[in-house]
Amino acid sequence: MIPHEWRETLPRMSSSPNALCFGHEFPTSGVPCLVQIGLQGLTVVFTSDGQEQQEDIPFTALSISVGGLDHDHLVLKWPSKQGERLLYLKDAELIRTFRRVAPPSVHIPFEQAASVARLARWRRMGAWGVAFGILLTGVAGLWWGSDLLVALAVERIPVEWERKLGEAAYRELLARQDLVKEGPAVSAIQEMTRRLVEQIPHNPYKFEVTVVKSDVVNAFALPGGYIVVFTGLMQNAACAEEVAGVLGHEIHHVLQRHGLERIVKRLGLVVAASILVGDQRGFAGLMKQFSVEFVGLTFDREQETRADIAGLHLLYDAKIDPFGMIRFFERLSANDEGRMEWLSTHPMSRGRAERLTAELAAMPQLTPVPFTFDWAAVRESLGAPPSAEP
Amino acid sequence: MRSEILYPGAFPLVKIELSAGEQIKAESGAMVGASPTIDVESKMEGGFLGALSRKLLTGEKFFFQTLRASRGPGEVLLAPTVPGEIVILELDGVTEYMVQKDGFLAGADSVRIESKMQSFARGLIGGEGFFILKIGGKGPLIINSFGAIHRIDLKPDQEYIVDNSHMVAWSATTSYTIERASSGWVASFTSGEGFVCRFRGPGVVYIQSRNPGGFGAWIRQFIPVSE
Ligand SMILES: [Zn+2]
Repeated sequence: MIPHEWRETLPRMSSSPNALCFGHEFPTSGVPCLVQIGLQGLTVVFTSDGQEQQEDIPFTALSISVGGLDHDHLVLKWPSKQGERLLYLKDAELIRTFRRVAPPSVHIPFEQAASVARLARWRRMGAWGVAFGILLTGVAGLWWGSDLLVALAVERIPVEWERKLGEAAYRELLARQDLVKEGPAVSAIQEMTRRLVEQIPHNPYKFEVTVVKSDVVNAFALPGGYIVVFTGLMQNAACAEEVAGVLGHEIHHVLQRHGLERIVKRLGLVVAASILVGDQRGFAGLMKQFSVEFVGLTFDREQETRADIAGLHLLYDAKIDPFGMIRFFERLSANDEGRMEWLSTHPMSRGRAERLTAELAAMPQLTPVPFTFDWAAVRESLGAPPSAEP
Repeated sequence: MRSEILYPGAFPLVKIELSAGEQIKAESGAMVGASPTIDVESKMEGGFLGALSRKLLTGEKFFFQTLRASRGPGEVLLAPTVPGEIVILELDGVTEYMVQKDGFLAGADSVRIESKMQSFARGLIGGEGFFILKIGGKGPLIINSFGAIHRIDLKPDQEYIVDNSHMVAWSATTSYTIERASSGWVASFTSGEGFVCRFRGPGVVYIQSRNPGGFGAWIRQFIPVSE
């Protein structure tokens, strides 16, 4: 039996329950009990139906760990006659007393448990620290105009996901347009797209190009590989290579994820940060609201230049005469700006065509492989004269 | 404080009888009716910063209300916003519950409510926000759910997996880790069943039989979207 002095050595700290006891025959929510700490061990007092029941446990019988959602409970385990018992202590005073009084044999497991709890707390604080750090870096990054954060965030968006977003905007847009579903124009565009896309190594996108009946001279790309070409653009192109040039350019807006970059930049820091730390659901909600805005999406000068150069290389790899692209740019820059919508989204400067000419000059001579369709027939099918005005 | 659940089921009311001078805490907006002897005070539980951060980070109401029988004994009727069950837990002074922000309806004055910043990862993907309520003290605690409340009893080290949007309250002696419900991020995001919580006993977990987010999504499909 337990010597009586045990309980006399320390003042009774409280008389109301200060711990929860779990055991086989107890309710799963635990039984409140009063724990007192003596020099040799614990006394656990249960009160049920006004009847006091007590159990004395020597320190040597205890095994120690931490538990609870926040690792803030000291968990003491011992084998009792009724099976294994667990005691969850949270009272700070009680835990301090335990630490002070417990014999050396218990010290080591206690300190180990304490360091587990500390570590868990630190990790939690650490995660918050990192999160705030990212936010601060983000603020600083955007403040100084750095695109690094945007690039990092964009990188984290899965392609499949980008495709879903692009598709939503695409369907919404096409629903309100008059589409060219078949005929020479569609098969011509398909042939050009196939030849270009074949040259892309490790292409994660399934490109889909739709021809929309409209006089505007324009084409655009949505994230995920959705490209729209207006018949106005085709009617204004003197040869298929010119249209292929625009396609190559648009394909590179997709491959380089310019749309996402733009959107992330526009939506700003919070979204970028939330993608970085892995919360893409929030982004999904925002993207849904913004999906319509894709359509009015314009790219910045740097993105345009990158798409131009990469598009030129793609044409080259596909053995499509790159002069078509350059000529088209030149013609656009010389032309009446009012009718040329491609100009509003693609500020045309002489420098742009010149940069491409220089780039092309550095590449080895190419023997182009012509397309199988007749461009004049394509133009005629769209109601344009067989040859464009020079 | 004597409380009774009227019309148990989907649309219950709680009737709480207060003796003169007695007061309770209630979620603001929960009061449906009261005797003229009852006064309503709004109080910021957890101090101004606590209330502010709760408001900012959980979108929760800024105040809890204190309902006090200042002018003699009386009764109050309380109801949650959403259809669902109400459960009264008797706090014993030792047991603490973590309650997700919408789960609290009312409690005795001696019930202690803290809003607690939880771990970053849990806050981000756990579905119950960055703050949860930690409720201890002594006396009745009244929680509510969306749908029915189901109680899961966990023995020491026993585990159970719960969809995060169904969690209502759980005892502080349980611990949980967050896991992805399905393989692949895309699948989780698009299927709408983001994450699950793996609970580990000992303790009790209360879950709700309906998912508020899921219900919202279901409703939204019937709301015409303006062009
Ligand atoms: Zn462009």
